[in-house]
Amino acid sequence: MIRVTKRVEFCAAHRYVNPRWGEEENRRRFGKAVNLHGHNYVLEVTIQGTPAPDTGMVMDLKALKDLIGDAVLDRLDHKNLNVDVPAFAERLPTPENLAVVIWELIAPRLTDGGLYRVRLHEDDGTYVDYYGGGGRS
Amino acid sequence: MSARAGSTESVSIVDVTQSFRFAAAHRMHNPRLSAEENRRRYGRCNHVNGHGHTYRLAVTIRGPIADETGSVEGRALLAEVVRERVLERFDQANLDDLITPADGVTSTTEVLTLLVWRLLDETLPSGRLVRLRVEETPNNFFEMDRGD
Repeated sequence: MIRVTKRVEFCAAHRYVNPRWGEEENRRRFGKAVNLHGHNYVLEVTIQGTPAPDTGMVMDLKALKDLIGDAVLDRLDHKNLNVDVPAFAERLPTPENLAVVIWELIAPRLTDGGLYRVRLHEDDGTYVDYYGGGGRS
Repeated sequence: MSARAGSTESVSIVDVTQSFRFAAAHRMHNPRLSAEENRRRYGRCNHVNGHGHTYRLAVTIRGPIADETGSVEGRALLAEVVRERVLERFDQANLDDLITPADGVTSTTEVLTLLVWRLLDETLPSGRLVRLRVEETPNNFFEMDRGD
């Protein structure tokens, strides 16, 4: 098995507000992240498979790039995650949840087991890895 | 809030990695060996007056996404724990004053990695720490996983 990764970037705004808490509690828990702000995200999508005998490829990276464009970037790039992305109507737009949402957008478009990992960098030095399902055992 | 709105599936487990850096001096030297043998084993890292690195840590915790914060439990503590247990100890310091024979024979980054793992693992919520990477330079790095 070989793992192949496509890296893309997108920019989006978000804020952290738990509607069950008052403004003061939100500010205490999340600090300045209660204010609308934004990030340049870096997304690494890794698929796993065996190179096809006729192409020598696990998956055409151009096809993977197009798939990520349709499934993810069209929905998230230059958007307000809280307002524009239905998945965040009831989840906080943290990088943890964003990695899970991105997995859920991509996985159905790939062969079962094809998607290996979603790695999302929110800022230099902090990233989240999600391996699907209940996570990596 | 629901971690997985409209779903009864179990919560998602994710890994979160945060990076930190500290600047420290050291000299690789085993006092039980001759000067010549130390030079042979450790080369320029045995330079008598010491040298230093900007060490970079990548600390990975794993856990379920907590509903109310959208984050892995313990993530809010992570930076504070790393600062208190590791950065305050090792930043702008001489590792050779801090690494004891009980930790290892000398201040190799392998020995440092094992020590940093212990300092973090005994402070973070149980089992949360799953991977540690210590970069001595961008070209030389050392990793360990829980269970190693």
